[in-house]
Amino acid sequence: MAVDARQRGGGSAAAAGALAPEPLNAPLFHSLMQRMANGGRWVLLDLGAARSATIRAFGRFRCRLEIVDLAEGLDALNGETDVRRVRQRAEQLLPARRGELTDIVLCWDLINYLNQPALAALMECVALRCKRGALAHGLIYYSTRAMPERPSAFVPVDDQHIAQHAWAGRDRPAPRYTPEDLARCMPRYGVERGRLLRNGMQEFLFKL
Amino acid sequence: MFEIGKKGGPESGSRPDSGPVRMETSAPRPSAMGSREAAVIGPSIHIDGDVRGEEDLLIEGEVSGTVQLKNNSLTIGPNGKVRADVYAHSIYVDGLLEGDMYGSERVNIRKSAQVRGNITSPRVSLEDGAKFKGSIEMDPQAVQGVVGRPATPKSAPAAAAAKPVAQQAPKAEASPVAKTGLV
Repeated sequence: MAVDARQRGGGSAAAAGALAPEPLNAPLFHSLMQRMANGGRWVLLDLGAARSATIRAFGRFRCRLEIVDLAEGLDALNGETDVRRVRQRAEQLLPARRGELTDIVLCWDLINYLNQPALAALMECVALRCKRGALAHGLIYYSTRAMPERPSAFVPVDDQHIAQHAWAGRDRPAPRYTPEDLARCMPRYGVERGRLLRNGMQEFLFKL
Repeated sequence: MFEIGKKGGPESGSRPDSGPVRMETSAPRPSAMGSREAAVIGPSIHIDGDVRGEEDLLIEGEVSGTVQLKNNSLTIGPNGKVRADVYAHSIYVDGLLEGDMYGSERVNIRKSAQVRGNITSPRVSLEDGAKFKGSIEMDPQAVQGVVGRPATPKSAPAAAAAKPVAQQAPKAEASPVAKTGLV
């Protein structure tokens, strides 16, 4: 499979100024991969952009991978103030509901780029597409005060490591959502496990 | 005029009326893969309706409806705009596609592509930089249910699965699948 050697997120601006990827040991991502390796069919909802490495990583499992590429819709979601309109926006960004429900949601770092009303609306709409007991994997900027201005591309390197292809350029303040914030915005999701990664991000595995 | 068959022979199909068009190329051709030049729907051509054929096809114009090339390859060129469900042996996308893709052999989304739709094929590749929104069916059993031919398991642990597979209604017959796995 052809892979852009830069792997910066697709745009020329990104290619011009991106940071080198740093593979991170991600134990909760590893636990997801282990569960999938036990067998069965899985439906994954990837809120990030389509990446060849992600397709390759999950291609060895019996699965359907739904790719949302939410980044372009973030401004629209964050810009709505009316709760009902936020919910409508979120529904428009997500794939149509099907008979087959989602087992695993890959949030990557997108949670950090949503304000609390947008996060609540989006994750509620996601929950409606998920099986009971579905898992959601997310990365929260927690011990670092700043984050890249735009969401990074995270790609699996292997079953245990993911690489962050961050945007260079300006940073912006990270919301540093606490578990309490997340519980308030995502009441259907319980934290199954959380781990602090060496880059200062908190890796979360949520369970519906 | 339509350029179907333009480079391969006299069997170009065209209708002067503006109603829905069903376009079929007549002569069976050997499967794609470099045996001859592809037919071309040129950049000034707009087609509303069904496009069927038995030769490879390059779309540089605009097509809305369905595209069916069961035993041949379809390429949507960088300037091509297709709003259709497409069925082909191999599908290569450089341009814009809104619709579902059924590739009985492979689907290749290149980095210049903008795609909104679902992919069902035993082999799927996507180059970084491509814009893609939709689903990729990577379950050999589900792919088999659509393309209608047993697929080789991708890996032992994944293939040993026992969970039931949600039934998907086949949308089209397709040519034999030689192998399952992403490339």
